[in-house]
Amino acid sequence: MTDSTRTDNPAERLGQVWRNPPGLGALSVVSHSSLGLRFMVTGAFFFLVGGLLAMLIRTQLALPAQTILSAEVYNQFFTMHGTVMMFLFAIPTLEGMAIYLIPKMIGARDLVFPRITSLGYYCYLFGGLIILSSLFLGIAPDSGWFMYTPLSSQQFSPGPGSDFWLVGITFVEISAMAAGIELTVSILRARAPGMSLRHMPLFAWYILATALMIVFGFPPLILASILLELERAAGMPFFDVAGGGDPILWQHLFWLFGHPEVYIIFLPAAGIVSTLIPVFARRPLVGYRWVVLSIITTGFISFGLWVHHMFTVGIPQLAQAFFSMASMVVAVPTAIQTFAWLATLWTGRVTWNLPMLWILGFLIVFVAGGLTGVMLALVPFNWQVHDTHFVVAHLHYVLVGGMFFPLIAGLYYWLPHLSGRMPSERLGKPGFWLTFIGFNATFLLMHLTGLLGMPRRVYTYEAGVGWDWLNLLSSVGSFIMAAGIALIILDVALHFRFGRKAPRNPWQADTLEWATDTPAAPYNFISLPDVQTRHPLWDHPDLPESMAAGKHGLAQANHGRRETYGSDAITGRIRDVIHLPGNSWLPLFASLCLAVVCISLLVRLYPVALLGVLGAAVFLLRWGWENGAHPKAAPVCADEPSQPPLHSRTCDGPGRWGMVVTLLANGTLYLCLLFGWFYLWTASPHWSAPQVSPVSLTVMVLAGLLLTGVVATYYRIVHRLTAGDDAGLGPRLWGLTALGAAHWVVLLYATLSAPLAVTEQSHDAMLLVMLMYLLFHGLVATILTALQAWRVRLGWVNRALPYEPVVLRPFWGYTLGIYWLSVVVFLLVPLTWGGAA
Amino acid sequence: MFLVAVIVMIGVFGLWIHAMNRAGDDEDDARAERLQNRWIIGGGLVLPLTSMAALLAFGIPAGHSMLPLPPEDGVALDIEVTAHQWHWDVYYPEQGIRLHNELHIPANTPVDIYVTSSDVIHSFWVPRLAGKIDAIPGHTSVLRLEADEPGDYRGQCAEFCGRGHAHMQFRVSAHSKTDFETWQREASRND
Amino acid sequence: MMRGDHPIHLVTGLTLWFAWFLAIYATLSVGCAVAPPPVATGALTWINAAIVLMTVAMVLLLGTLALRCWRGAPQAEEGPRPSRFLARVSAAAYLVAAIAALVVGLPTMALPPCT
Repeated sequence: MTDSTRTDNPAERLGQVWRNPPGLGALSVVSHSSLGLRFMVTGAFFFLVGGLLAMLIRTQLALPAQTILSAEVYNQFFTMHGTVMMFLFAIPTLEGMAIYLIPKMIGARDLVFPRITSLGYYCYLFGGLIILSSLFLGIAPDSGWFMYTPLSSQQFSPGPGSDFWLVGITFVEISAMAAGIELTVSILRARAPGMSLRHMPLFAWYILATALMIVFGFPPLILASILLELERAAGMPFFDVAGGGDPILWQHLFWLFGHPEVYIIFLPAAGIVSTLIPVFARRPLVGYRWVVLSIITTGFISFGLWVHHMFTVGIPQLAQAFFSMASMVVAVPTAIQTFAWLATLWTGRVTWNLPMLWILGFLIVFVAGGLTGVMLALVPFNWQVHDTHFVVAHLHYVLVGGMFFPLIAGLYYWLPHLSGRMPSERLGKPGFWLTFIGFNATFLLMHLTGLLGMPRRVYTYEAGVGWDWLNLLSSVGSFIMAAGIALIILDVALHFRFGRKAPRNPWQADTLEWATDTPAAPYNFISLPDVQTRHPLWDHPDLPESMAAGKHGLAQANHGRRETYGSDAITGRIRDVIHLPGNSWLPLFASLCLAVVCISLLVRLYPVALLGVLGAAVFLLRWGWENGAHPKAAPVCADEPSQPPLHSRTCDGPGRWGMVVTLLANGTLYLCLLFGWFYLWTASPHWSAPQVSPVSLTVMVLAGLLLTGVVATYYRIVHRLTAGDDAGLGPRLWGLTALGAAHWVVLLYATLSAPLAVTEQSHDAMLLVMLMYLLFHGLVATILTALQAWRVRLGWVNRALPYEPVVLRPFWGYTLGIYWLSVVVFLLVPLTWGGAA
Repeated sequence: MFLVAVIVMIGVFGLWIHAMNRAGDDEDDARAERLQNRWIIGGGLVLPLTSMAALLAFGIPAGHSMLPLPPEDGVALDIEVTAHQWHWDVYYPEQGIRLHNELHIPANTPVDIYVTSSDVIHSFWVPRLAGKIDAIPGHTSVLRLEADEPGDYRGQCAEFCGRGHAHMQFRVSAHSKTDFETWQREASRND
Repeated sequence: MMRGDHPIHLVTGLTLWFAWFLAIYATLSVGCAVAPPPVATGALTWINAAIVLMTVAMVLLLGTLALRCWRGAPQAEEGPRPSRFLARVSAAAYLVAAIAALVVGLPTMALPPCT
């Protein structure tokens, strides 16, 4: 990896190694700064799409009995408004911000899986465009953004609309999962030397919690989407009453995701507030530990609220009380943060400026929304206003107040970092006021509209019921708000040309991202410093200079590798040097193949979908191949660092952490499958299960024994490898590959020979999903083991390079665990308890 | 609820704006930390927990009283409602009366509406008489209604159910006891 | 039990809370589906008893863990490991989980299970 163009100037050398190619090559860029910006710009584009849809909705509702939009078109518009805003604007924009800021704030050069960042972006872009295309083709989803069944099922939505949502959103969710996994591992394992957990900037705590919430919160929706798409395309009746399914199962799975989703949206925005307030109050945030506690509490409690979206479904009162109480408890950590912010402002010396104006707006709008939220948590009140415009008002208060306002505050705050220029207050202030006034004009009295009985999602309403002037006012307000947003866009656009040049750290902030150049170089910092304080730039004002002078760690790149420090998750001490991949086309190609899969599923051309899957698999496996000691990654060379070593020479590194976090997400999906099984068994109105399961227990046990043999042996092999013994490693891994293949064939036989009536009974459909899940894992694990055996032959895996088999080990363990758990839950338990209702 | 919310809002917003304009403190660390903890514990813990306790003390009994539990005296009138895309079928099981998009009930009498759907999820809602209950295929849920006065009450579907959702209204007519008996006799005879 | 300053304690309390939450909801739902007690018994049913028992057990467990974590915290931070920070915040997280369990479980004392 040495380059003939050696130079003594570290900045130049780093610049070469971290170079972002221009032109078409930009499609292969993996730098977090570029990708973070792309996420945010694409998010802004979708925001405008969602906003346009909102304007059309408000135009239609301005007067009673209008027919500007027909019912069919209106239903597509409000469904797409919600879908675009939630999935294509809110999450990706915040993700993009986190991707851009986190490495800089924690003193790293990039996130730990740069190609995954890129894959995430492309999946978001292509998925978003596919979903958007449905709008232009007039076949957009039209069952509401939460897609309740049976309305969204094949029978009542026979067109492709629902499929666009189910397939398209799942495609986009790859990007959320990617970000969730990558940010978790990066924040835990790639911090600056010495940055212990208690020295992490609060923004990192917020994003860590958000990332973990994504890891646990998105899988329920992914499973639900897969099940509903299987129902629509293959007739498997998970949610259809006649076939033993239950529409309420969809609601449970959706809201298990849906409620954490809104906190996933809120927490990063609260993180922005917690970052800006200390800077503008010129003192550290009051109650760092209280805020950390609040972040953790919010993250967990938000998973216990989901039924509060289902209070009118007919669930027992006591169960509703559990969720009602939890929904009130969740307001406490938010109140704690609010008063921490207040106390900081109170004891600080605050400057009024544009970001602080937006934060004041956030406070007003979000607290109002939070208070109506507490009202909604009260069940009897909920029974009146559920599904009315009161809820529409509430949700916009908390989402616009809780996410959009802090986002704009953050935008103005970090604009100098992006562009090197200061924003102006001249256009910005009227922009704020128009947006703030317009927003409140639209949504404040909408609470009353709901209280007066106007339901949600109606394309028109009769005159004279009492809703006329309220709707007109809301519609006028929406145009004022649109004007405000137009001003903000104009302001931001103009500042790139006319904004005055920003000095370094123009706001005199305390966090590390301000130590980079503006705009930041792709490698962020020339050298990586020790950080043992929460406020590095306040406590060490000369740090940016000394970093730029190369006085700290990893200040040279003559070896040609992209490197950042790998840290201990708790203390921040250096453990290894993480070598990162450079630019790559593989994420783009893999994503294009996935787009082919997506589109062919939509037009129901399944052979083409299969080709797409194979293509994606090839590119993803190639991607995994170019790791470790591969010539394109970090081939073994004579002058390798040893104190600390490169991460791929150790037994622990980001990949292992990434595997574990991915398995947490995977496990959540599996647990949701188990939940679905037990739910349908106990609660579904027409559940029916045969006396004897169609799946042969004997064959399953046989396959399971084979699997157990493989995994036990694999664990032994890796144990020996990490102790330094790689004798016979290659042949042994080939042997395991063969045994794994045998397991797979037996499992396949069990699946194909079982007389499953998957279109008639949800019982059988569930069994098939379970079997496919097990088949998938067995196949992937076996293929990856084969690749490891091959890499042993090539000399890239041995006792000096033990890392990769260690990374694969948890995957085998997981495969074994779900295998036997499935045998117990799906075959043994029904035997003993009688599966019939 | 509204009043408490407004008071809390004005309090918080007022404190925030005042805090922004304030000159700021130069306190030593220990005293500052005590002061700050007072803010966090007072505002972040005490305020929300007491407000919520008050809210629930009112709310839980209120909710309980709305449940379709057996009435203290007498028997509730049972009516079965089946929601369709996009109309309501009403059936009085005891009297054998069938109606379309309308209900007739006696005033000052508890009425139990057994709600289900024949197709997608709808929601049965008469805003002036009760909360709403979802009409879900495969399930039957019960809503307790009671009109305090005779009159006509507007009802509407309150769960998005497709193209005709906005036009799925119905009417509930509450009659005095004698008027209801008259109506009931006429309606049974006509069936 | 691991030493009180292990970071897993930051999340164990609330994870236990979530597991308890699912357990009481499942007990209620499955109990009402397979063996609903008569309406007349009000809140004095086996389902309520089971939930109250689980709640009390969980509150006591979490409270104990909170106390042990808090007491195990060193007087001041020594060295690179943020022991005091971890132990204190973890103790608080256990306490929060205990309170959340208590608050959420409270209605079980008064409300009938299946109506």
